Amino acid sequence: MTKYGIVADLRRCVGCQTCTAACRHANATPPGVQWRKVLDIETGEYPDVQRTFLPVGCMHCDDPPCMHVCPSTATRKRDDGIVVILYELCIGCAYCAVACPYQARFKIQERTLAYVEGATKNEDTRFDPAMLGVAQKCTFCVDRIDDGLAKGLKPGVDPEATPACVNSCIAGALHFGNVDDKDSNVSRYLAKTEWSRMHEELETGPNIYYVWDEKR
Amino acid sequence: MAPDGASAREVKRVPTYCYQCVAGPELLTVKVVDGVATEVEPNFKSADVHPANGKICVKAFGLVQKLYNPHRITTPMKRTNPKKGKDQDPGFVPISWDEALDLIAAKLNELAAKGKVNEQGMPRIAASFGGGGTPTQYMGTFPSFLGAWGPVDFSFGSGQGVKCTHSEHLYGEFWHRAFTVCPDTPYAKLIVSFGANVEASGGVCAVWRHAEARGRGARRIQIEPHLSVTGATSSKWIPIRPRTDPAFMFAMIHAILFEHPRDRLDIPFLKHRSSSPYLVGPNGFFLRDPASGKPLMWDSRLDRPVLFDAADVDPALEGTFRVAKAYELGADGQRWDHADVLGATSFTKMVEHLRQYTPEWAAKICDVPAESIRFVASEYLDAACVGQTIEIEGRTLPLRPVSVQLGKTVNNGWGGYDTCWSRTMLAVLIGGLETPGGTLGTTVRLNRPADNKQASAKPGPDGFMDYPMNPTDKENWIGMPQVRNANRTLIPLVANSPWSQALGPTHLAWLFQQETPPEWPQMQPPDLWFVYRTNPAISFWDTPTISAVMAKFPFTVCFAFTRDETNHMADILLPDCTDMEGLQLIRIGGTKYVEQFWHHQGVALRQPVVPPMEGARDFTWVSTELAKRTGLLASYNTYISRGAAGIPLRGPNYDYTLAPDVAYSHEDIWDRSCKAASMEISEGKEERDLAWFKENGFLVKSFSQLDWYLYPTMVERNMRFELPYQERLKRIGLELGNRLHEKNIHWWDAQLEEYAALPEWQDFPAKWENVVVKMGGTPEEYPFWLLTSRSMQFSWGNNVAIQMIREMARNMRGVGGVLMNATRAKEMGIAEGDLVEVRSPLRATKGRVALAQGIRPDTLLIIAQFDHWATPFAKDFESPSLNTVMPISLDLTDSTGSGADVTRVAIKKIGGAR
Repeated sequence: MTKYGIVADLRRCVGCQTCTAACRHANATPPGVQWRKVLDIETGEYPDVQRTFLPVGCMHCDDPPCMHVCPSTATRKRDDGIVVILYELCIGCAYCAVACPYQARFKIQERTLAYVEGATKNEDTRFDPAMLGVAQKCTFCVDRIDDGLAKGLKPGVDPEATPACVNSCIAGALHFGNVDDKDSNVSRYLAKTEWSRMHEELETGPNIYYVWDEKR
Repeated sequence: MAPDGASAREVKRVPTYCYQCVAGPELLTVKVVDGVATEVEPNFKSADVHPANGKICVKAFGLVQKLYNPHRITTPMKRTNPKKGKDQDPGFVPISWDEALDLIAAKLNELAAKGKVNEQGMPRIAASFGGGGTPTQYMGTFPSFLGAWGPVDFSFGSGQGVKCTHSEHLYGEFWHRAFTVCPDTPYAKLIVSFGANVEASGGVCAVWRHAEARGRGARRIQIEPHLSVTGATSSKWIPIRPRTDPAFMFAMIHAILFEHPRDRLDIPFLKHRSSSPYLVGPNGFFLRDPASGKPLMWDSRLDRPVLFDAADVDPALEGTFRVAKAYELGADGQRWDHADVLGATSFTKMVEHLRQYTPEWAAKICDVPAESIRFVASEYLDAACVGQTIEIEGRTLPLRPVSVQLGKTVNNGWGGYDTCWSRTMLAVLIGGLETPGGTLGTTVRLNRPADNKQASAKPGPDGFMDYPMNPTDKENWIGMPQVRNANRTLIPLVANSPWSQALGPTHLAWLFQQETPPEWPQMQPPDLWFVYRTNPAISFWDTPTISAVMAKFPFTVCFAFTRDETNHMADILLPDCTDMEGLQLIRIGGTKYVEQFWHHQGVALRQPVVPPMEGARDFTWVSTELAKRTGLLASYNTYISRGAAGIPLRGPNYDYTLAPDVAYSHEDIWDRSCKAASMEISEGKEERDLAWFKENGFLVKSFSQLDWYLYPTMVERNMRFELPYQERLKRIGLELGNRLHEKNIHWWDAQLEEYAALPEWQDFPAKWENVVVKMGGTPEEYPFWLLTSRSMQFSWGNNVAIQMIREMARNMRGVGGVLMNATRAKEMGIAEGDLVEVRSPLRATKGRVALAQGIRPDTLLIIAQFDHWATPFAKDFESPSLNTVMPISLDLTDSTGSGADVTRVAIKKIGGAR
């Protein structure tokens, strides 16, 4: 079986937002819509303070709450674990955005632009009216994966078949692959490290794995 | 889902490079869909040769918005309002390129006729380029035009000296050919970082190397007043009081010298690769052999003095010895002949000097427990692995996987000498200077040849490396400044390379325009000022005053992407091709700042990924046109042929030189460069033309890792690092003082005191408090230290007008606002998001407060540089800037001519949250 997931090594992430920018490029999201982003979190009290950078986005849950609340069946889970939205079915009710415990979903009603003076050439070239009024979120760059697989490439190994955020990570903090394959890059990574998942208690089965130490 | 993914559009990926910051270049591809640039990606083909696996940083993703930015200057413009000033509308009107070039050429020809230097001997032309030299990677053959022209004043800095790691540049090059200094991260076990924010400013190479190091268990201790992104990714954060880093470092060395056995140090390294054994006489200079003039050491085996370069000796590291006959050589040839004189080793002089600087002493100054200082010292020694070796490319070298890193503001301004000396000395103590795992220099800029660190390390006096000091002797001292920052007059260490002028002290150029010291004639402004990729009206200090100074410049030509605060004062605006439109071939690889250590070297091409915007012109085309119109074509072409554009066009078995009288197209010039570069790289075997580079992007050959380290060269040339005792600096400081005092110049006396053989703690924080008093305030009225810090998104990028960059930066805590300790804020009734005024004795800046626990209660932080009033998009940020409130002051200038990005301020709430 295939279940794609992302490993985010928190020891390596520096919060640079390169993945955020790469995602915005790859997916032509408008200003402010960040399917992938890195949170800048502080804990503790001076002088005992920790600051952590946490890459977040759609967790492509095993049991996605967003899918269960979707009245139009637009949100679906593929056999490879990727949660997708069929925009032509989405009615924009935003139940999914409310149901998602990871705040991973966006919905915009009107076109937003980088500059008030008007759309830039690249914005016009990439504008897709089908993205207005519907829910949107990280797709694990599903087109890259499908195109890559069609070319015989391996997601998570070959950049042409790997999500843009992972390709772009300058700290080597993000890794992508099949977590169901015990020999995959991500499974090997997880086998040697201590990791956790966000809101495990909600039993959504999220597929971003946060590494914080070597295996003890 | 990418909307262009499914349709049958014409899609191509164009290789190019990004060099927006000093940590570049990065190699990337741009996806072009139906002739429109849409996406940036790493050039995956470079993963095998690039030190960061071919990655590119967040700044590169802003370039598409830069290309299509609605605020771009789309045509040359000329000013119609002769009055200049912030409050004046320049009245820019569009003109043709022909008219613009004719106007500039006419001015240049007029100046050439008058003489290229003015009555004061200063160049009539000045030029300012920003971003730590990165504009060179974008301005094509313009340096060849300036070379053909002749004298140019690069004095007017855009931040050099006050925003760079200035003192480190000078002392680093002096001590180990290190224009910038970094750890040998791939082998490091421990890095002690005093405010070095390498995760924000080190570019992809540094971030990648440090992440790899953390991945294998290396640790970093971050010592700084706020918890930066670098501190966040470190194993320990020690919040130190601002401006007290030298005290911490002195105490660290004290602990190592007085609380640990000597055998924890690298004794052979100290004896044979440093000047530790050199004997120092009663006047503070080396004891020298009367016959040869060479410094003396004491041979422990023979129990007698020996020359420093005597073979098969065991020089005493410590002790005081009686020498029958010797002399000391002081300033200006002063000589003391001694008989039966006592000389202490330089090492002993250092030990005795540092006896006073105990951890308990430093604890009070630094507001850090003494045990923390001891802990860091002890960890440092434990990680040093003294005695271990490593084999690299078949050669066995010492392995010393520990180093100290210094950040901007720590290694700059008062205290910069002390921290640079301490850092380098800490490396010398454990034999970790320029050895694997240790403290390395990245590149040379002041010594020659600038492209070869090893070749630049030539034997000089007393067993040390030679250094191109500016003269301080009576006959050769340059008493009358040749350029407007007086760099060669005041700063022996700044040398005289093509970079020296621009290193400054550049703030003196701005200061002297307002008021030149009475000993010199009032300095005239340049008759013509070229500006490219810099905005000193925002990026320097006391920015309103800087703006007022540049408003007095009579003829300013700005290459302009958008309007900004500096080109508000321009007479001509020229829209050059931006990053994704221009054509240029640059050198890549080798070793270079900040942490670029490659196993390859070669060249990379920047090319138009789409046709340039109508109205924009390639910088090389502009340069050729100016050369043509000023009668400089032959000389300009000669400069290009000789390699001023990066690649010499003639080699052992190839010759692509330009004919002197032909105005070549920019495509032709870079085609020849491509061919010459490929022939150079392949040693004459393969010629690759421009078309090949447009397709493939880059070409490299291997670069030896041994060339990362200077140590093998020091051994081969039998040279010593010039530490611990600064006899040479002491001498030139005295000589410089003599020269200045002969001219009755006493306003540089405080700086002269810094030429000490061993650095001495001064109350550095008090220097800033004294300036407050001098400006009419009291330290109590301005109880906070205001600091600044880089953000990866903005640093050096000249990219503040790019929406995506702003959006990315805003994901990071405090960017665009004033970061303050949350507990302290609560005590003062300040809440998250409140509008606050941050005031120095100079003036105030305003912004929204962001609260955090990761900052000292006595410290405020304003990240990056804002307070724009002309730059489109950015002028609506309402973001504050340290630069607005930071005074330019001789009192805050150290002996290298640098100043630190810190000032005393008060804060008060002036409005609620939005």
